[in-house]
Order: sequence, then structure tokens, then C-alpha cells
Amino acid sequence: MTNAIDRRRFNCILLSAPALGVAGYLPASARDFIEPPYLKDQIEAKRLPPLQERIPVKPRVIDLERMGRKPGRYGGQIRMLMGDPKDVRMVVVYGYARLVGYDENLNLVPDILENFEVEDGRIFTLRIRPGHRWSDGHPFTAEDFRYFWEDIANNEKLSLTGPPAEMLVDGKPPVFEVLDECTVRYTWPAPNPAFIPALAGALPLYIYAPSHYLKQFHVKYAHPAELELKVTSARVRDWTSLHERMGRMYRPQNPDLPCLDAWCLSTAPPSTRFVFKRNPYFHRIDTEGRQLPYADEIILNIGSSALVAAQTATGEADLQARYIRFDDYTFLKSAEKRGGFNVELWGRGEGSRMALLPNLNAEDPVWRKLWRDVRVRRALSLAIDRREINQAIFYGLGRESANTMLPQSPLHRLEYQTAWTRFDLDQANKLLDEAGLAKRDWDGIRYLPDGRRAELVVETAGESTEQADVLALIRDNWLKIGIKIYTRPTQRDLFRKRVYAGSVVMSVWSGLDNALATPDMSPHELAPTGQAQLQWPKWGQHYEEKGAVGEPPDLPEVRRLLELYLAWRQSRSTAERAVIWHEMLKIHADQVFTIGTVNGTRQPVVVSKRLVNVPEEGIWAFDPGGYFGRYLPDTFWFRDTAE
Amino acid sequence: MLLYIFRRILIMIPTLLLTSALVFTIMELPPGDYFESYMAELQAQGEGVDKARIEFLKKEYGFDKSPVERYFIWLGGLLQGDLGYSFEYQMPVSELVGSRIFLTVLVSFATILLTWLIAFPIGIYSATHQYSWGDYGLTFLGLMGIAVPNFLLALILMYFANVWFGTSIGHLMAPEYLGQPMSWAKFKSILEHMWIPVIVIGLAGTASMIRKIRANLLDELQKQYTITAKAKGLHPFKALVKYPLRSSLNFFVGGIGGILPEIVSGAEIVAIVLSLETTGPLLIKALQSQDMYLAGSFLMFLALLTVIGVLISDIALAFLDPRIRLQGRSTR
Repeated sequence: MTNAIDRRRFNCILLSAPALGVAGYLPASARDFIEPPYLKDQIEAKRLPPLQERIPVKPRVIDLERMGRKPGRYGGQIRMLMGDPKDVRMVVVYGYARLVGYDENLNLVPDILENFEVEDGRIFTLRIRPGHRWSDGHPFTAEDFRYFWEDIANNEKLSLTGPPAEMLVDGKPPVFEVLDECTVRYTWPAPNPAFIPALAGALPLYIYAPSHYLKQFHVKYAHPAELELKVTSARVRDWTSLHERMGRMYRPQNPDLPCLDAWCLSTAPPSTRFVFKRNPYFHRIDTEGRQLPYADEIILNIGSSALVAAQTATGEADLQARYIRFDDYTFLKSAEKRGGFNVELWGRGEGSRMALLPNLNAEDPVWRKLWRDVRVRRALSLAIDRREINQAIFYGLGRESANTMLPQSPLHRLEYQTAWTRFDLDQANKLLDEAGLAKRDWDGIRYLPDGRRAELVVETAGESTEQADVLALIRDNWLKIGIKIYTRPTQRDLFRKRVYAGSVVMSVWSGLDNALATPDMSPHELAPTGQAQLQWPKWGQHYEEKGAVGEPPDLPEVRRLLELYLAWRQSRSTAERAVIWHEMLKIHADQVFTIGTVNGTRQPVVVSKRLVNVPEEGIWAFDPGGYFGRYLPDTFWFRDTAE
Repeated sequence: MLLYIFRRILIMIPTLLLTSALVFTIMELPPGDYFESYMAELQAQGEGVDKARIEFLKKEYGFDKSPVERYFIWLGGLLQGDLGYSFEYQMPVSELVGSRIFLTVLVSFATILLTWLIAFPIGIYSATHQYSWGDYGLTFLGLMGIAVPNFLLALILMYFANVWFGTSIGHLMAPEYLGQPMSWAKFKSILEHMWIPVIVIGLAGTASMIRKIRANLLDELQKQYTITAKAKGLHPFKALVKYPLRSSLNFFVGGIGGILPEIVSGAEIVAIVLSLETTGPLLIKALQSQDMYLAGSFLMFLALLTVIGVLISDIALAFLDPRIRLQGRSTR
């Protein structure tokens, strides 16, 4: 057993020899590693090898001082509060161990991988860190990639719809090759720019699996009688369910599953308290010879999401932002002393905190025709007093903006942010007059072309009072341009159904999910690519279902957006992608398909006074970077630990 | 009598079948299914959705079949004692409910005991001292108990318990004991936390119990036999407790049937507010997220307990109250 591992290691070292001496890397023998006290017993009992043998030959070295942070000490538990047992996935999201990942400045850097090469936009060579091991000590090798590709992605029982969409180019899968124990290659006939960003996703595309562990649940490898027994004792339908359940990495539920994350699940559900323990084989170290993560455990206490703010105020969480809203800020601030924490205000990552979405696929023919007239959309945007909204609802902490990129994104341009966002009722009125809505009723409300009054119902998912407040402000200003809105909160599922069917004329939702994009990230949110895009659900559905249902887009600008998106999917270089992105953003700015209000609003982040290295400012976004993930929670440490 | 019990048990079968059909239909009525609301929830938080996995789960749980087929699959499972699978937790329903049942029964039992301990003396006092200051005062308190929303009281008590006694907010024990095996320290921690839910849940029940005891006892106290007994010089205690109180307790024995499901389900809203590890929040959550089998099987379990509870109280009534005659039925 040890022999085999050593030989493998040896092979990989030979192959990666030219790469030795890269910045930040010191040969392992030359340094003094510091063992985590948490693992002392296990190391002394020889159940774990020493640190030098646990980490890859070339671990990922995190230079904290260069990042402006302090190298830390081992120990402690980071406690967090969650509102749902499904939230165990947050540890995987926050931990953010990915094959490649975004760093603080949104650069893609190899993380689990030692490096990767892309040739011609279509040939991807991924190199695993030699000596990298799963949390159970078994080597992490090309076999784990092969197992995923051949035995999971291409097993029709485990993957009903075939390999993941990001791995298909024009419906064609890649050619997969194992070049050696530590190197794999994916080759597509055409460029696949979606591949690498997908690996870096907060919800990542997993293209590997712990094959040595999962084979016991796979019909191809397992002993039939033993597998049968396992299926019966787990009370599942067949081996596929068992394999799915035992092998789930994103929302883990199997404490025995080996992982590559900083902390691995150690509590079997159901429970209201989940403990994640440090991965003794984690591949990141700091410059002083300590293995990351610094904190030994992450503890999730699952309760009612409505209680999270109150519990946080009593100091029951060391790091908490989920389930805390901006309205809780003053309450938490007043409890800072008693609870022993600081409340930081991070920026939120949406393109707009709240966007108004005229349904271009509305059933009502009159409104549909009006929405497709760009003058109407522009007029509505001009008639929103964003400053008032920002001051009244967000204490002036937000940024008045169209629904577009945030300034932190390399794709941000001021003209996108300010397009059609100045408060100008005169021009709005003029635009509406030109659009054929000149006739008004006695109270100033315009007549629609078919003689109805211009009154419409804006539907919301009914989840926040904030939306209702903003809408009340908008309502008053829209009255001045002769359009009257009524707000109707419904329930989320019903709301979506009604928008999809076109029964809703205008809806309210948050803006772009990823407003921190770089040219290398997919611009799918800007083109009609999904039913969940509430401004054009039927066009999105048409693309999503490959033309089987929905309607093809009939506005030339929207068709252009789709063309551009498809062009991005074929692009070979970052420069090419930037050009595509900018054209798409420009169309959006000019056409106002979604009406943004305010973005960059604040997300309170509660940080224990004992916890060091948590940035005071950051962006709270799922994608890119998995909320805390981009800021490396494995480098957060407690100043009062015993070490 | 035996024949009667036998007949009653037979009638339970169609009752439960009908209930199961009703439960299933109502759960099918809202638009969408668990997977759609799950996807919508993720999207609402700006998170990604793994569509392939959703497809896999849909197929695994038989969502490619018609509702009628699914109903019979579910029913077939129930008959074999298989409560089905929870989508939300991805575990068998029985394990899920089983892990919470102990604490639920503990809380409910303590609550019921508390209710009785408070309600009986007060109810009797109110009835015997009708329209006195004591009656008015206690009645006022009782009405307050009914009128104050439980969840509000729970929040207030929880806040003060935290500020004054340092009891951690929510849950039935301090966080470090969650998921740990039972120990003396854990039990102490449970006791420390349990009084809030017990008082909160018990209070409303106590108030209505007081009113019922008072009303029923008043009826009896005005009857001829009580007056006669008093006139004949029977000891006041005996003239109260032995006869009138006993016959006023029919409502109480009849209510035992309702207690059985109550013990298992607990008070849902309060339990959610307090983040208790009881079955109540489980049920509400399942209904919200359309976690069909968890909600359905749990409701069926409650239905079964209700039917059994009613049977028990009927039998108990028949034994305890000689005025109730089964033979009367046929002449009706």
C-alpha cells in the first residue's frame, strides 16, 4: 500500500519537476512545519503521518502578509447559525476549495489543481498536485477524474441527462485522457469557455469523485451481494440512489465521504447541530509552516431563520451574515458590546437590490406591445427617483444605478450605471406621449391604446417589506407620468408560475445575480437563456428547452443578445470575450430591459472580536467566490487560542 | 361491549383511508411540487441550481408518474409501515420523526401536567366562588392567557430568560448538547430550557380548561342532588368533589382522545419560534416546502392517533359514567 503511493508520488514529482521553484514555494524538507494541536493525539498514535507527508509536495502557499493579513495560530471553533438543515452546503461554499477559484481580485487561480493549461480555448490540461490526498489519506489522482467521467457522468443511470451541460459544446462531449497519474486532459472539437468558470463556481462543476470510496456503491465495481445488502440496509430504491446519497459533495450528508475541503462533515443527519472538522490533508499552508485551516472546527447550529439575528446578538455566532438583513443592523450594533462582536457592513453583489421587470412575454397584448417599445421602458426608468429610494430606504449607503455591473467588476463603466437613471419626469412624459399614450383621463392617468386606463399590477414574491416600501416611493413618481401601479404580493411559487405563464405584466425581483463578472465568466444572465429570467420567461424557456416550448425572441436587440451569448460560448480569448460582454452590457443599458433601482446596498457581517483576518470590507455574493469563500475563511483565526 | 369495540375498530379502516385520500389531495393542490419550490428558493437567494441533480431526484421519487399512481405507492408503503422518504432531509421519514419524538413527548407531557395542575384548582375555585373577586380576577388572568398570542409570549420570555438567567436563545438545550447522547448534564440543560415552552404552550390550554371546568361544574352545582346533599349536611368537600365534580368531568374524559395526537405533534408555532427540536416545526416546514411524504405520513400518523384517542375516550366514558348506555343505540 505505502509502496504504491510512494511510486505514484515519485512519478508525479518527476513530471512536475520543471515547475519547481515557483513563487512562494519552498522545498518541503527545508522548512519546519507546525502540527495542529488538534491532531496531536492521532499523530502520536501513528494514525496520521506527520504534516510534511500529509500535504502535497507542492501545497498551495497562502502568503497572508502580502494579502495584508496576519499569519495565525491553530485552534478554536467557528460557530455559525443556519435556518435550514440544507444549509450544510454553506460550509462547502464558504470553504471554497475548488479545482480553480477566484481570488480577492477576481483572478482565476489554481487551488486544488497545481496548474492548468488551455490551448486554443478547447484543450484543457489539468495538473493535480503530486501527493495530494483525500481527507482519509488516500491519494487524489487522475483515477478520481476518470471515475467521474466514465462511471458517473457517462453512466446513464447515474446521470439521466448525460454529462453536465458545461461539459458539452454543441451537444458534444469532450475526449477525456489520462496523461499520467497526476494529469488529465479534456479536448473539445470547439472552444468551451464555460468550462473553467464552472469549476470555480460557488456551486462548482465537480469533475472528480473519491473513486476509492465510491466504488463500493457502484454496480460496476461492487460485489453484487454486498451492494444489495447496502441498498437494503440504507432503505433506498437501488444502487443509484445509494451512490448519489453517499457521494454527494456539495450538500454533504455522509460523514464517511472523503473530501478535499478545509473542513469535512462529521455529523450524520438528522441533527440540529452539525460539526465540520479540519481536514488533516488539506492542501493549503501559510508561509510559517502551519497547515490551513487555522480553526479546528466549524459548528452549524440549525434553528429558525427568523431567530438568527436575535441569537447572533447574544454572541452565539462567531461569523454570521446569512439570515441577517440590513434592518437588523442597528439592533446588532447596539448589542456589539454584550455579544463581543463587531458588525461590518459589506456590499451586496447583485446588479440591483430590487429591479422592476416588465414582462415582455405578458399575455395582455396591449401591455406586451408597450413593453416592447423602448421609449416606454426608458420613460419608466427615468421616472424613478433613485436618490430618494437610496436615502429613504438604504440610508444613502447604496448606489443609484441601472441593473448592471458593480464598480468592482472590470466590466463596469459609468455610462452603463447611469444610462436612463437620472430623475427626469419631463422627458419621461415626452417619451410616453411619443409612444402613443398622449391621451389622459381627468385625473392625469393616461389611456392605453385600447381605451383602458394605464393601471397595472406589479407583483412581488411577497418576501420583504423593503420591496413594498420601494414600490410605494416609485408609485408616487409614476403617478406623475400618468401611470398607476398597484402592488400585489403573492407567494413565491405562485408568483413564478404566473410570470412564466405571462399573467403578470410587471414583476419585482433582484437584479443580476452576478454583478462582479469578469469577461471570462458566462454572460448568460444578459441573454434570454432561462425561464427564470422574469423579463422574458418564454424566450428564455425557448433557449433552455432547445426550442421545444416557449417562443423565439422577436425583438432584434434580444436576438442580438442571444447571438452574442452564443458567440461568447465559441470565444477563444479573454479580449474577444470582453468585447462581447461590453456589447451586451451596452444593449442592456440602452434598452432598459430590466429597470434597476439601487445596488451595492449593505450586508451586515457579524464577526466575533476574537476572530482575526476577516476583511472589514467585502462583497457578499454567492457567485463569484461563494460569499466568504473568496476571502479564505481557512485563514481566519482566533486570537485567544491555546496554541 | 367487545362487539362494540370490534365494530369501532372496523369503522376506523374506511375513516383512515378517506383521510389519506384527503391528505394527499390537499397536498397535491398547491401549484408546483417540492422540486420547483426548492429551485425557486435557491434562485431567491441568488444561488445556482444543479438541474441534473433535480432531474435525478424527480425520477427517484417517482415524480414522473401520475398523482394517482403516486398516491397508491405511498398508501402501499404506509400499509407496510414504510412512511416514505423526505425530500428535504433526504432520509426516511420514520428516522426523522423518531429522532425528535422523545423530546416532543417530554415537552407535551410536561405541558399537559402543568395545565391540569393549574386548571383544576382554579376552575373549581371559580365555580364554587362564582362572581366573587377571586373568580373575576382568575377569569381575567385566564382570558389574558387566551388573548395573548403564544409566539409573542414565547419571544418575550426567551428574551428575559437570556438577559436574566443567560439561557441560550432557542432550542431545548444549550447548543453544545445538541446531537450529543443523553447525559445528566444534557438533561439538566433540557430542564433549564424546557420551562419556557411548557409555560407558553400550557398557558392558553390552561385558560380554556379553567373555563370548561368552571362551566361544567356550575351546571352540576345547581342540580337538585347537590342541593339535597348539602341540605342533608354532607361534608362540603364530599358534596363537591365526590359527586358534582365527578359528573362534570365527562368533557374531560372525552377530551383525552384529543390529547394523544397533541402529545406527538406539540404546539407548532411556538416550537418554530423557539427553534425546539420537536416534531411541530418539522411538520410545518414540510407543508411549506411541499415535502409530500414527510408531511403526508406525519399527518396520517396524527390521524391514526386521533382515531385511537377517540376510541379510548369513548370506552373510558362508557366505563366511568354509568349513565352512558351502549344498548340505546339500536332503538334510536
